[in-house]
Amino acid sequence: MSKLLKVFLIASFAVASFSAKAVTVASWGGAYTESQQKAYADTYTDPSSIQFENYNGGLGEVRAQVESGSVTWDLVDALPGDAITGCDEGLFEDITTEIAELSTPGPDGESMLEDMENNGLEYHSGWDCCVPQIFWTYVVFYDPDAFPGDKPSSMADFFDVEKFPGKRGIHTWATGIVEKAMVADGVKPSAVPTVLRDQTGALDRAFAKLDTIKDHIVFWSSGAKPLELVKSGEVVMSIAYNGRVGAANLAEGENFEYIWEGQVLDQEYLCLVAGAPNRDAAIDFMMHASTPEAQAEQAKYITYGPMRASGIPIIQAGEPWGPGGVDIMPHMPNTPERLKVSIVSDPQWWSDNGAEINERYSAWMGN
Amino acid sequence: MEVPISTAELLTTDGVPLKQSLKKAERKNKIRAFLLVFPLLLFIIVTFVMPIGDMLLRSVDDTQINTVFPNTFSEFKKWDKEKDELPPEEVYKALFEELAYGDKIQVGRALTRMNYSKSGWKSLIKNTSRAIKKAVKKNEFPDSYKDFLITANDKWADPTFWYAMGQMVNNQTPIYYYNAIDMTYDQDQNVIRQEENRRVYVQTWIKTLKVSVYVTFFCLVLGFPVAHLLANLPLRYSNLLMIFVLLPFWTSLLVRTTAWIVMLQQQGVINGILVWLGILNDDGRLSMVYNETGTLIAMTQILLPFMILPLYSVMRVIPKSHMRAAQNLGAKPATAFWKVYLPQTIPGMSAGGLLVFVLAIGYFITPELVGGKDGKLIGSWIAYHLKTTLNWGLCAALGAILLGVMLIFYWLYNKIVGIDNIKLG
Repeated sequence: MSKLLKVFLIASFAVASFSAKAVTVASWGGAYTESQQKAYADTYTDPSSIQFENYNGGLGEVRAQVESGSVTWDLVDALPGDAITGCDEGLFEDITTEIAELSTPGPDGESMLEDMENNGLEYHSGWDCCVPQIFWTYVVFYDPDAFPGDKPSSMADFFDVEKFPGKRGIHTWATGIVEKAMVADGVKPSAVPTVLRDQTGALDRAFAKLDTIKDHIVFWSSGAKPLELVKSGEVVMSIAYNGRVGAANLAEGENFEYIWEGQVLDQEYLCLVAGAPNRDAAIDFMMHASTPEAQAEQAKYITYGPMRASGIPIIQAGEPWGPGGVDIMPHMPNTPERLKVSIVSDPQWWSDNGAEINERYSAWMGN
Repeated sequence: MEVPISTAELLTTDGVPLKQSLKKAERKNKIRAFLLVFPLLLFIIVTFVMPIGDMLLRSVDDTQINTVFPNTFSEFKKWDKEKDELPPEEVYKALFEELAYGDKIQVGRALTRMNYSKSGWKSLIKNTSRAIKKAVKKNEFPDSYKDFLITANDKWADPTFWYAMGQMVNNQTPIYYYNAIDMTYDQDQNVIRQEENRRVYVQTWIKTLKVSVYVTFFCLVLGFPVAHLLANLPLRYSNLLMIFVLLPFWTSLLVRTTAWIVMLQQQGVINGILVWLGILNDDGRLSMVYNETGTLIAMTQILLPFMILPLYSVMRVIPKSHMRAAQNLGAKPATAFWKVYLPQTIPGMSAGGLLVFVLAIGYFITPELVGGKDGKLIGSWIAYHLKTTLNWGLCAALGAILLGVMLIFYWLYNKIVGIDNIKLG
């Protein structure tokens, strides 16, 4: 064997054993993971010990890892429904005591969980295994040039194809859209989760409202699509993840307008996988990534809002917080006035009914 | 005169019967041969037989929940639905105890499964568990467990939840297969059709089969002339053409899919050209993508090489003299093609057709991207349940049916064409 080859082999072993010690975080990739890298990993005491890996959401891989006993991920960036199910099923480790002892309290001494409640959130079992990350939202946006006269400004306008002719972009699964349909049908945004949960026939109402625009919908299934659809004129307005629209506006010089009314806020968590190979280091990083400062920092790189209420004042005080001296608050989904016209998605309800509603939604799409 | 026939066995020089000695030598060879294929056999068992076996088992398995609620279920089976509207006290008591002392994680896994039979189980059990644990902590055991549970959550007085429990009280269940074809149980475990607005799987199965058959057909129609041209051109031209076939084959799937979107969308290249030429007016742009047309076009293009390559390798070895001979004997070109050339390409068509069909039936990324509302094929549902709802039983059942459909096609194919006829070159 040549000397060079030997050196190479030894080096690669060294690299392999080194990277095995790093905390592996499974996240969604793209601009979102990049913002996590900058806001959480780069500000961490040992940035090189954090390694991001892409995944596509869902608990399938986590369950496979835990069931087979060969866990390679330490942390998973999870939607609230997955956080709940994962915690209930023991796929994520219950770290209630660690969170209580090690998390950074808010400026007025409120605990992290209280800080989250101050932001309009309610306890669910995902809070036992996970720390908060950001709010992201399903928001409607449009290109103002497409509407020379009146501009749409409400959910009712989104569902009114006579007043604002043209196609609408809507995603191929039910979360978010059901709530929006309820708002368009006249339910007060803040009351939507309660109505959906407690009123019989509420879902029928949402689907009846969706029927009214069914022939005017272009369905999309990947997050980049709505921007292409609106940019190319294929649709006049579309539902999208607000971070994508924010990035287009801030980084690509687009001039898209949002319709904040009826936006559906959803949560994002960082959860500890049961049997994580670097458990303690991972917990330490979780606590770092959930400080108000780190959460506010993330808003510099993507327009998702901190889930801890005390993150917002940090951004407001630091304006211009965005890239290139831009004020970032106008792009944030969870300012107090916007929260008044928003729906906070109810993960427990979706976790109970999501499968059934998605089947119904697909049946509705296909017919 | 009688010839004496020796009844003694033939012996080898060292006194061992010949038969035995031969057997021994043969056995050695057999073992050697077996050892040679053993690694491959092991590989196939580990990577192919075991996962498929595991999938088939999972599609009927319901043991996990039965280990969590053994007493509740055995009491539940004694419930006479005719006589009592709600289950007897013993069922409530068993449930109370099993929730109070059960392993939290095992209960958590069980309730993910319970939610498949009826939406709402998850939060019902979780809320109830909390109330039960509180009571147990204070050492307050109720006189009537039934009343306690109903006070904790009035859904326990709703018989529909109890009816749904009937779906999971056995270790083995066919329910996932029923769900995979839009069927379910009613309260007495009779098989009925799913509620009308939830029937999605049958229509998805039909759509998946339809798309696969169409794609296979289009690939054959488009691939045949190309393969023929490739096989009959002089080598230097055919090599160049071959690169045109292979280059897209080596390009990323997502790139090709996205390229089709750019081409086909309403503000896209093709519509743009047609409007520019005046063939279409601006309001009459064709919608060729985000519907079934888009799915068929993109999938056909992506799977085309799988048809062309086997066809080409079969056509290349068909001697050109056959066609000449046929025409020499008086056949018109069309007849010669039909009677002499085409039958010889059947092995290639079969191989290509089966390859394309098998790949198409499990496709889901391309259809999701270009198919819009028609883009959800059965593969998407399998992925959805695998990742999002964690309903692996239903996943396995859908997968098993998919496997069954493939086996039926394979069997039909064997009956009609004969499997020995297949040829990749």
